[in-house]
Amino acid sequence: MSDYILELNNITKNFPGVKALDNANFKLKKKSIHALLGENGAGKSTLIKIITGVYNQNEGKLFLNNKEKSFSSPNEAMNAGISVVHQERNLIRRFSVGENLMLTNLPKNNLGLIDYNTVAKESKKWLDIMELDIDPNTIVSDLTVAKMQLCEIAKALSLESKILLLDEPTSSLSPQDTKNLFALLKRLVAEQDVSIVFVSHKLEEVFEICDEVTVLRDGKNACDSEQITNINRQKLVKLMIGRDEQIIKSKKDVDFIDENLLDLKSINTDLGHKNINLNLKKGEILGLYGLVGAGRTELIKCVLGLDKINSGQILLNNKEIKIKSPKDALEKYKIGYISEDRKKEGLILMHDVLSNAGITVWSNLKKILSFLNDSIVYNKVDPYVKQLEVKTPSYQQIVSNLSGGNQQKISVAKWLASGTDILFIDEPTVGIDIKTKSYLHELIIELSLKGTSIILITSDMPEMISLADRIITMKDFKVVGETINNHNYEEMSSSIMGNIHE
Amino acid sequence: MNNKIPNFVKTNQFGLLILVIVFICIFSFSTDGFTSRFNIYALSRVVALDIMIGLAMMVVILTGGLNLSLGALGVSAAMFGGWCMESMGIPISITIILVLAFGSFLGWINGFVTVRTGVHSFIVTLATMSIYFGFMTLLTEAEAFRKLPEAFTDFGSLKLFNKYISPLLIISVLTCFVLYYIFKYTDIGRKLIAAGANPDAAELSGISVDRMFIYCHMLSGFLAALAGIMLTARIGAAIPSMAGHLGFDWLLPAFLAPVLGGTLLSGGKVTVFGTMLGAILVTLINNGLYLIDVGEFWVRFFLGIILLGAVLLDRAREYFTVKNSIVS
Amino acid sequence: MSALLKKDWFGLGLVLIFGSILISLFKPAFISPFNLYVLMLSVSLMLVVAMSQMIIIAIGQMNLSVGAIGGLVAISFTGLMEVYSMSILPAVLIGLLIGLACGFINGYITVKTGISAFIITLATLYIFKGMNLGITEAQPFYEIPEAVKFFGNAKIFGPIPYLVIIPIIITVLMWILMNRTSLGRYMLAYGNNVQSSELIGISSTKIVIYAHVISGLLAAIGGMLVVCRLQLGTPNIGDSWLLPSFAAPVIGGAILAGGKVDVIATAFGVILVSIISQALVIFKIDPFFVQIFLGFMILLAVFINRYREYREERRTKVFSDE
Repeated sequence: MSDYILELNNITKNFPGVKALDNANFKLKKKSIHALLGENGAGKSTLIKIITGVYNQNEGKLFLNNKEKSFSSPNEAMNAGISVVHQERNLIRRFSVGENLMLTNLPKNNLGLIDYNTVAKESKKWLDIMELDIDPNTIVSDLTVAKMQLCEIAKALSLESKILLLDEPTSSLSPQDTKNLFALLKRLVAEQDVSIVFVSHKLEEVFEICDEVTVLRDGKNACDSEQITNINRQKLVKLMIGRDEQIIKSKKDVDFIDENLLDLKSINTDLGHKNINLNLKKGEILGLYGLVGAGRTELIKCVLGLDKINSGQILLNNKEIKIKSPKDALEKYKIGYISEDRKKEGLILMHDVLSNAGITVWSNLKKILSFLNDSIVYNKVDPYVKQLEVKTPSYQQIVSNLSGGNQQKISVAKWLASGTDILFIDEPTVGIDIKTKSYLHELIIELSLKGTSIILITSDMPEMISLADRIITMKDFKVVGETINNHNYEEMSSSIMGNIHE
Repeated sequence: MNNKIPNFVKTNQFGLLILVIVFICIFSFSTDGFTSRFNIYALSRVVALDIMIGLAMMVVILTGGLNLSLGALGVSAAMFGGWCMESMGIPISITIILVLAFGSFLGWINGFVTVRTGVHSFIVTLATMSIYFGFMTLLTEAEAFRKLPEAFTDFGSLKLFNKYISPLLIISVLTCFVLYYIFKYTDIGRKLIAAGANPDAAELSGISVDRMFIYCHMLSGFLAALAGIMLTARIGAAIPSMAGHLGFDWLLPAFLAPVLGGTLLSGGKVTVFGTMLGAILVTLINNGLYLIDVGEFWVRFFLGIILLGAVLLDRAREYFTVKNSIVS
Repeated sequence: MSALLKKDWFGLGLVLIFGSILISLFKPAFISPFNLYVLMLSVSLMLVVAMSQMIIIAIGQMNLSVGAIGGLVAISFTGLMEVYSMSILPAVLIGLLIGLACGFINGYITVKTGISAFIITLATLYIFKGMNLGITEAQPFYEIPEAVKFFGNAKIFGPIPYLVIIPIIITVLMWILMNRTSLGRYMLAYGNNVQSSELIGISSTKIVIYAHVISGLLAAIGGMLVVCRLQLGTPNIGDSWLLPSFAAPVIGGAILAGGKVDVIATAFGVILVSIISQALVIFKIDPFFVQIFLGFMILLAVFINRYREYREERRTKVFSDE
């Protein structure tokens, strides 16, 4: 008998072309808070999805209270006492807080009708346990995000969950809300016999509340249920990133012509960006670093005209421009965006390679009466597809049939073909095999040497330090720091982290 | 690229073609009069319209939406044409241009409202269906235009190719070729398909998705108006009730043809010739059912069953495409 | 008071009251007993039809076959009584059974295939309507028992027709269903958020089938009520239901994406549509205007609902995750 409530042994999970988890272990002690760490693509979310019954592992075993289990649906996992706390996603927004808490077991009166007084009373109990001052009759959509999240936890408690998985719970909370949340979590563990898996990018939070830590890297354990007291911050960072990570120095010290190509001046947006100032120089790779929820992708989308910019200016070559849409950006200003979500936003999966690679150049290639045929497009995109070594049986291959790496190459190829001056590249290597990854890194450097100016968003610190010339750090929809990259990993990472945690 | 023939065999169109041939054989042997000149001519007139209606719906299904106002729109445009010719004495050629412009305009309204409100085109076109049809009946006082120029009505009853084929069918087939050309060989056609397949990705790739969706609705209006004119020429009069109450009679063929033809209801895929074959198949079955004496009242029942079968097939196909993509 | 203001039916109620007062000031004939009687009849019939659509909207789907089910049940009901001389009660029961079966078919196919309910119910619309025409060969049944005729025409007292009884009971039951039973709440939860309702163990299959079955039953009742009213069973009963069936719930603030319907507001929507239609008649405006008006009302309501939804989203959108 061990005192582990949840134990995952030698879990392996394969996806087409990728081994997301490779003999990973995870052991959660009763009444403890256990941090699950790793960089994007390290396998955290896959592990969580196995615990919560979304995926089944290919190999390895899962024990709950020392009994082997396998969940075929999230509902089964939930019935077994495992709840994931999302930010707001699992609540029925138009229902009251009380009804949400009691939804699986709504109290009835003698006539078999729902008794809302009892709903309020019963749910109040859980809210009280959490010392939450929320009226159970409040409609969920009227709550703040922070309170919604607390209600999620209350709901998990009301379902008698013994294991709570909190995935980046603080990413949208204010410092005060975060403090309250942590106090609550500690109390729950102490009083309610609950064990918590805590996933976060913010290391100081991990040190603040966690008892043990497991780090994943490339689907393997970089450390397995280590006592938090045996570990320090530097060691943890090393575990997450790995020593063998090579920092390539992007280019020979080019002296930039100190000429701003793209300037954002005191930009405030509808999405909540406050006073954003940044400039991109010609031929530069400007890194945008920040944690999930820092507002980087959102900023780019505002610049592209997808969301509203409330005030401030965008200057291109010192002339003010207004970008109304991505079409505008591409056709008028030669600005392109390689999306982080290639399946949803980057590619049209049901279409073939040729139409995906050529989509950005159709407008330029069209002849009289908008005539365009495959061979015209082919002639234009073929050099780029060849250059990127996309492995596809033919140009008629449906893109969804290709591997992730090749898909990403195509979503890059289409922007190369379009010949943009400025390229926003968002998380270019998430979920991509090592070989393609280093290939893409070289490509980005080559592009910038040829004069393309690039804004690179990545949460992958080594990638950032390898590629960027200058790194802007964002936090809570604000710019919090700027560093010239000297490609020294230790120095740069601590400086950037310093910016974030000030 | 180099193995074209086997590819075609795998397509939905090929299956449809086989079905069409099979049905032609069955009906030719089992019923009298199926191959008679009269019947084939009648068929060609009906199928011409079904193809056009099917195409009009197809271009909206492309966006992942639908157009319930199709029939109301087509009839409104046709009545407008009748008014132009009969009351205003506008020459036929100009009338046709006006009618097509009018249809496109009504389509534009559908598209504009859908795009601007972000409401599903179902409810938008449900409302505009009622509005278009209401205005039409109000303005025409539910009266038909029966004194149309002879040149116009003669065209509708013209018989070509040894009196087997109506010129209306030729218009529809030509329209198919034009649409095929647009979707296959033009910048704009490709953009329409891309916008329908994945609006987010298309938008981020520099395509104005809203504009594309409006174009689709306009094209739908254009084709529905064309169908309206063709029906007017066929009947020899513009009658408010020629597509049933609210134009609802057009709805089933409108969905049947593209769905049978392999157009995905979720959008992003067009099959012009599939839609054409689908329309032919529907017309054949319809005609065959009459000929084998199923009783005209049961025909609707069978068409409903066929639509159900078609969407189930559509579903199976989608399922298998997903399967395929997981494999490699 | 502020809680009251937030309710969907509150604003509508005010519009109804002021609208009626205004109309009756201009045309006192509006509140004549006969006019009220006609108004109540039209409200009664449309109420059931609107509820039949509303419950499908609640789960985020749509049912085009509402009218076809109503029509099929109407002619079966009358046919059974006329051709097979069946007595009223068994005929009603069989009518309900047919509605139930039709709804079950809609729900079962929709949930098992995952195809949009729109297309499934479009197909079944033609199937049910085809059966209707196939059976009747487009001829009405005229032989209706006196009791049925009486129920359709007689008044309880004043201008109040007997016919309102069933729609009122149905409205009350629907309110209880959607507000006080787990089934109704689960339907709304499902319409709100399919994933999270499945996560807590709400069965999609069950919810979708139940909703369609109830919709079918209500459509069946609607069809039979029309028979009572018309005193005959014609095959075209239900042909014109589609538009008003969507109009009332949408005017009542229902969101077509699902998860938000309001029984009282839907009922008010029905009354509003009926009053406007009636007023147009009284003001001697071309009846075809009703059609146009209905179309514009749907658009307007959709705009308003959309705007409210947008504001609601806006409130919590700031600081959503990446």
